[in-house]
Amino acid sequence: MPEASLTHEFQYSSARHQAETAISGMWLFLATEVLFFGALFLTWIYSRHWNQAGFDAGARRTDLAIGTINTVILLASSFIFSAGLAFIEAGNTRRLIQCCAIAWLLGIGFLILKFGIEWREDFSKHLFPGPDFAINGPLGGGARIFFVFYFLGTAVHGLHMIGGLVLVGWIILRARRDEFSFRYYTPVCVVGLYWSFVDMVWIVLYPLIYLVGRGP
Amino acid sequence: MSQRFRSLLLAWVLLMVLLAIEFGTSFLPLDRSARPLVLIPAVLMVAVVGTIFMEVGRGPEIVRLFAVAALLWLSMLLGLGSLDPMTRIDYPVQAAHPR
Amino acid sequence: MSEVVIETPGAAASYLANGVTLRSWLLTTDHKRIAVLYFGTITFFFFIGGGAAALLRYNLILPQGMIGSAETYNRLFTLHGVVMVWFFLVPAVPVTLGNFLVPLMLGARDLAFPKLNLLSWYLFVAAGFVVLYALFAGGVDTGWTFYTPLTSAYTNGHVVATAVAIIVAGFSSIATGLNFIVTIHRLRAPGMTWYRMPVFLWSLYATSVILVLATPVLAMTLLLLAFERIFHIGVFDPSLGGDPLLFQHLFWFYSHPAVYIMILPGFGVISEIVPAFSSKRLFGYKFVVWASMAIAVISFLVWGHHMFVAGTSLYSALVFSILSFMVAVPSAIKVFNWIGTMHKGFIRFDAPMLYAIGFIGLFTTGGLTGLFVAALAADVHLTQTYFVVAHFHYVMVGGMVSAYFAGLHFWWPKITGRMYPEMWGRAGAVIIFIGFNLTFFPQFILGYLGMPRRYHSYPPEFEVLNVLSSAGATILAMGYLLPLGYLTWSLFYGERASANPWNATGLEWQTASPPLTDNFVSTPTVTEPPYNYPPPEVVHRHA
Repeated sequence: MPEASLTHEFQYSSARHQAETAISGMWLFLATEVLFFGALFLTWIYSRHWNQAGFDAGARRTDLAIGTINTVILLASSFIFSAGLAFIEAGNTRRLIQCCAIAWLLGIGFLILKFGIEWREDFSKHLFPGPDFAINGPLGGGARIFFVFYFLGTAVHGLHMIGGLVLVGWIILRARRDEFSFRYYTPVCVVGLYWSFVDMVWIVLYPLIYLVGRGP
Repeated sequence: MSQRFRSLLLAWVLLMVLLAIEFGTSFLPLDRSARPLVLIPAVLMVAVVGTIFMEVGRGPEIVRLFAVAALLWLSMLLGLGSLDPMTRIDYPVQAAHPR
Repeated sequence: MSEVVIETPGAAASYLANGVTLRSWLLTTDHKRIAVLYFGTITFFFFIGGGAAALLRYNLILPQGMIGSAETYNRLFTLHGVVMVWFFLVPAVPVTLGNFLVPLMLGARDLAFPKLNLLSWYLFVAAGFVVLYALFAGGVDTGWTFYTPLTSAYTNGHVVATAVAIIVAGFSSIATGLNFIVTIHRLRAPGMTWYRMPVFLWSLYATSVILVLATPVLAMTLLLLAFERIFHIGVFDPSLGGDPLLFQHLFWFYSHPAVYIMILPGFGVISEIVPAFSSKRLFGYKFVVWASMAIAVISFLVWGHHMFVAGTSLYSALVFSILSFMVAVPSAIKVFNWIGTMHKGFIRFDAPMLYAIGFIGLFTTGGLTGLFVAALAADVHLTQTYFVVAHFHYVMVGGMVSAYFAGLHFWWPKITGRMYPEMWGRAGAVIIFIGFNLTFFPQFILGYLGMPRRYHSYPPEFEVLNVLSSAGATILAMGYLLPLGYLTWSLFYGERASANPWNATGLEWQTASPPLTDNFVSTPTVTEPPYNYPPPEVVHRHA
């Protein structure tokens, strides 16, 4: 089928024009997200600067095993979605659906580990910086602030993950309705960018939460 | 297609290696103020995801403009934002009332 | 001389007539209709914020305060600030004139993402409902700057609700900025190179850069504040090792560039009006363009000048002071460019030009006084006094609101297809200029003499200047109500406008007034440089 049969919205000059614009729009949106999380990172810098000992004391109470497993899961998920995109660029809808499904399940796995298990564990250990916070004494203030960063950062990241899962699910549904082909796969591209970005945010959050404060 | 898949697979392997390095270095006896160096492998991982998974080099030119702008503005926020706490003289005060 | 042909296919309806049901308006994706929807919304908020200002000036007629309660006064100035900043000034030109004109000036049929555009209006309206609830359920008494620990630990105002409203309004503005940037990059008509774009587009591009990169930081800041306030712990509490200055750094990282979000579109409007009413090419086009882009970048590097007495380090204060002096340079360059445009031009004093000339004077005054407060030593005396209040009202109100009115009058014929009554327009501009100066000039003196801002009462020796200021506010209020009257009148009884009543250049004037839904009958091709005055002969061809 010739390219001319691909439709596009009236304000665009061609389907390719529209596709490239959609991708550009997503990159710009991701730039805004960099600044959104950036404010959180500045908070980390200030908080650790003023309370280094307490901050790191708090960090040592995080669950390194779950955190690291979750990082491996997300890296795999990003890899597999990108592979799915590569498959549809070659016209293989079946593989796209399989890759998206695996990426989706990995994402669900992340959420279960993080919120179902890790957060529950943290709450039961009284690590939520509320009135019954576990760490007291001179290190208490810094530890509390660490856990403010921890809970807020993982919550906001988690919300982005949920949004990403909705998008990946949408791609799977559309793919099953045979809406994508080697000539049209823009939504897959755009969702892939978002999904990989959410992974990027975790790549930065992981050491900020689990690694910097640790060590002998 | 297999070329692309190979690049993706290599990128994933590279990411796992960087993760291992990062994990390992976090156990080194670094000075407390030098601990943030543990973030270096993380920055490299971000670069790998951005270039190979997200293919920042591939789309229209403005994609790279947006990516560079994001990094530039992030450094303005973190850099100029850190200037104050790094250079502030902290006058210690009496301990606060016990909470 | 080249010719421009405006094809008006007889039966095709203008964008206003194309669907008359409520549904066709509330579900529109036409950028022009969305601009009109926004226009109604921000006009509503302008009068809410203005009403609060009227009450503030009323209170300040007497030294002990007319209203009696300091708490009420605090809530009023907070309402005034929150509404005027986020629900009027930040959106003003971009969402009304910008939404309407960006595709037209580019020669495009719509923005890149029309549905996102409609979503941004709904987000804005939703935010509006939340802020109205917050403000009328008792409001907030902390000032629009929400400093901690007052907001995080002590006040009992509706901080979280207001924060949520501002976050949602922020998403709306990010959506608008994103749409503009992508549209300007990707949807330019054939022949419309970057250097053929009108300065209004460059200004909106610069504004949009700030919108998309600064606003997300505000969102996270308010989220942190809400978190701290709800869970009674946090990063801003010094007794727990938190840093209250962190809030200020994060807040001003957005809010300083935000003032450039507010003024840059105004610069763009003035850059269109001054050449049109001087019948002369804009002087130093590239200087104006790159000055705008420079402002977009440097504006992000000066935020610490709001914190000179807050307790930041001297070194960082020095750096911010130097950078603040630098950011004034591009704005000053533009003033010279506008004056240079007028020089030896054929000047017509229609209402848009009166507002524009007023802008140049008032903005320059406000801008120069900004340098006073950018100087560390002077700021120690002037900060938190009425000097600062006068400074920012000169740039925001004398500058930006004048520019908004200038643009409103200039493009009114294009948007509505009607001319406003010219003598009323001119009268409004003059009344506003007089009222504005009477209101705010005394405040420079009051601030210099030491009258603090945000105080419900003041020492008796300041009474005369305060009374003058409040008298000025009455005149200013009349000046703002006048256009509400005659512009509404013109919608029904105004003379019908031609495609180009001002004989101006720019693609928007080469299509009908009001435009068709699809903007152009056929995609225009651009071959002329911008501000090609005098513009070519116009031939109307009826298809």
